[in-house]
Amino acid sequence: MSLFSLPAVKGLIAQILGTIAGMALTTVIRALMGLPAWKAEPAWVVGALLGGVAFLFAVGAFDDWLQWMVGKETPLRHGPPPDRPAWTRYFSVDYNHKVIGIQYTVWGLFLLMAGGTFALAFRTELLRSGMQFLGLELFNNFIGLHGIVMIGGILLGVGGMANYLVPLMLGAEDMAFPRLNALGFWFNVPGALLILSSLLVGGWDAGWTGYPPLSARGPIGYQLFFLGVYFIGLSSIVGAVNLLVTILHMRPKGMSLFRMPIFVWGVFATSLIQLTATQLIGLSFLMVLVERTLGMGFFDPGLAGPGKALLEGGGDPILFQHLFWFYSHPAVYIFILPGLAVIGELLPVFARKPLFGYKWVALSSLAIALVGFLVWAHHMFVSGMNPGLRVPFMFATLLVAVPTGVKFFSWVGTIWGGKLHFPTPMLFVLGAISVFLIGGLTGPILGTVPTNMPLHDSYFVVGHFHATMFGGFVFPFFAALYFWYPKVTGRMYNETLGKIHFWLMTPAFWAQTLGQMTVGVMGMRRRIADYDPALGNGMIQAGHVVITIAGFAIAFGVLLMIYNFIRSAEVGKVAGSNPWRSRSPEWQIPSPVPEHSFAAPVTVVGEPYDYGLAGSTYVRMAAAGDD
Amino acid sequence: MGNTKSGIYRIGIVVLVALAALTGIEYIVAVTFNSAAVLFLIALAKAALVLQYFMHVYRLWSEEEH
Amino acid sequence: MSSVAVSIHESYREKLRNNRLGLWLFFVSEAFMFGGLLAARFYLWREDGVVVRPALDQQLGLIVTSVLLLSSYFMNRAETAIAHDDRENFLSGLLITAFLGLVFLAGVVIFEWGGHIKPWDGVFGAVLFGMTGMHALHVLSGVIFILIIWWNGRKGHFSADRHWGVEACAIYWHYVDLVWIFFYPALYLIGRVVH
Ligand code: HEM
Ligand SMILES: [Cu+2]
Repeated sequence: MSLFSLPAVKGLIAQILGTIAGMALTTVIRALMGLPAWKAEPAWVVGALLGGVAFLFAVGAFDDWLQWMVGKETPLRHGPPPDRPAWTRYFSVDYNHKVIGIQYTVWGLFLLMAGGTFALAFRTELLRSGMQFLGLELFNNFIGLHGIVMIGGILLGVGGMANYLVPLMLGAEDMAFPRLNALGFWFNVPGALLILSSLLVGGWDAGWTGYPPLSARGPIGYQLFFLGVYFIGLSSIVGAVNLLVTILHMRPKGMSLFRMPIFVWGVFATSLIQLTATQLIGLSFLMVLVERTLGMGFFDPGLAGPGKALLEGGGDPILFQHLFWFYSHPAVYIFILPGLAVIGELLPVFARKPLFGYKWVALSSLAIALVGFLVWAHHMFVSGMNPGLRVPFMFATLLVAVPTGVKFFSWVGTIWGGKLHFPTPMLFVLGAISVFLIGGLTGPILGTVPTNMPLHDSYFVVGHFHATMFGGFVFPFFAALYFWYPKVTGRMYNETLGKIHFWLMTPAFWAQTLGQMTVGVMGMRRRIADYDPALGNGMIQAGHVVITIAGFAIAFGVLLMIYNFIRSAEVGKVAGSNPWRSRSPEWQIPSPVPEHSFAAPVTVVGEPYDYGLAGSTYVRMAAAGDD
Repeated sequence: MGNTKSGIYRIGIVVLVALAALTGIEYIVAVTFNSAAVLFLIALAKAALVLQYFMHVYRLWSEEEH
Repeated sequence: MSSVAVSIHESYREKLRNNRLGLWLFFVSEAFMFGGLLAARFYLWREDGVVVRPALDQQLGLIVTSVLLLSSYFMNRAETAIAHDDRENFLSGLLITAFLGLVFLAGVVIFEWGGHIKPWDGVFGAVLFGMTGMHALHVLSGVIFILIIWWNGRKGHFSADRHWGVEACAIYWHYVDLVWIFFYPALYLIGRVVH
């Protein structure tokens, strides 16, 4: 088998060729229009767009639909490719949700590590005041890349968990739209490549938020950043359509909404946000893209000419912030709702006790998703927006604390009096709760207008959101990886290495986030490459040293986990079908899960989390025994 | 008018006439007293007609063939 | 191929239910994008706090709006026809719809865009071209969709009980019309004219 027959490789080559073709096309069109033929910016925009689309065609994401267009019906392909080794299915358009889930997860982990590498680079720069080895521009590029690549990685991690687990938890054979599911994953590959390759054309220096006017004027790298985010956004949208239909229509007999696993609730709420809000970040970036390419004055007030204001005047950068945060605040709930749901999913298993307040937890996910749409302007308190908006947005923001608090009560109530076990996934769950608490407590401080004003754009904000994202996504994601690893591979990970990972990462993370908040209060601004060593009575340097060391410790822990997973896939002890004694449907079938998952239809006959209650049953399978 | 083909065609024509009439009213409102609220309400009414009679939104919750 | 083909026994009806919900969810999603454009229009087209609009060709606005409404009628006719196995009206309805769609596009692209406002003319130009451009892209994709359905219909595909493709095409087309129902007053009617 030659490397070039791998669909992913074909896609890569097509992306490069498509980019070149797009550039040539632009040049020809411009020449025909009598303009100066070569102009880099439009050439790159059209090239990048065409390249991304070419990737998808070449990888084969549209194959079946192209057949349908000419009136042919195509049966759904199953199983590994007949003419290639089985592992190549992970580099091909495969329609099995379990394969797609793993593709998402692995590509997500890759992006998280790539994004983390950018962070380690600029963290090292920040060890001392003054500039060491990164130039100012590269520093700015790296903070932006770190942010957006991490967000991409998180979205992929969410997609990985959702795609792998939701159909299994519903006892379904697959998602509602397997082809769309595959397309949803593959969007992310050209998308991420576009974002990363922006470094080659000048990068972009406005941070992940890409605010105009800077983003409307900076180098061409912005365009690739915008287009890359657009591709990843399309993935979010089609993925959300798929998950929502699957959850609404494909539940097994007996599984009413309030008998769904809590993880499915979390994914449901997240998908509602992804479905709708994502359009707004796409739109806002698209508007900057056309502003740069065609001179359409949406945001940059500097385009204003004298005289007739509305025909010649420039736009308003505050509008961009509204559109952008209308997505990007709810986006933080996209990251955390599945993560918090993993906590709710795992705690009862390791406490051998029912989930406390199941219904309230389920509804709190929906409540967070809905209220999350009404708080975006808390990122804009000092932006110069209409000051009358401050107080309403402050109150709406503080309201989010209520459903979030519900979740905390449920966790504490579930742990309380439980027969606790502490394997690695449980440790990460407890770590997640401790870390999310830090993030949750600093949120209202930032959401309150008077305290926000001095803290805005400081490292305090950086500390806040790292705590929420680690507590709400990274820790639960790792818990999920360890927890479902035996289901995916059929083997157990190495428990000792897992525990070392946990005990390395958790204190390091606390130090990092509390350190960030501390230097923030000392006066450290975010997104600044240098600082005054006298800040904080000269203690700021020490703070940065702590943060940087902690960052490296976390990175080491992650590498340990990756090593553990790769190694245990071969030498781990065979796990059996249900090592955690879980009641969820996916644990009632063999590990690794067979190609078609369930041999017989699943029926739900009881409550999902009645652990420890005698004689209670959640699912019944026609063939296998109960519980 | 029911389910017969000509019945549905007829509904289509009635809806089309209604939409055209509402568009005309929109225009008149705009050139006379230009109330954004009224214009928005008319647009909502037009949208409701399209959703119900052309897009058959009710098929989402009714069990029905084809 | 590995295991038995006991695979997905989704009946056509189950698939249809899923497809419908999926398409409608996609509409909901798109509504947020179009809503964002509308928000931008009302945010940017203001002068001293009063909503304003540029002087556009009112006749053109009325004509293209009517053409699009008329096309929706013919689309509905085509869908009804195939639901009753009336191939003739089905195919002719599709063609008329596509034709009217092209007329609409011509009206916007040739006449509206050929007018005195250009994309780079301040917020008037930006929003006008942003909204009509995004909508025109959807009209264009709708026309292509219709032509694909027409071509397959001519070859004998689709029947009274199996025509999800037609239904999808039809409601997509109506959706594009629905968007214009809001865009038309926002662009042409609401607010004080500023020259
Ligand atoms: C308890 C609920 C929360 C409240 C009240 C809250 C409030 C805030 C506020 C007011 C800001 C803006 C600070 C500023 O720039 O001046 C902020 C920033 C941020 N928050 Fe939260 N937050 C909460 C939870 C979360 C969660 C759960 C996440 C993510 C998982 C999150 C992620 C972020 C991010 C990424 C930023 C920085 C955005 C940027 O400017 O780059 N927050 N938060
Ligand atoms: Cu926020």
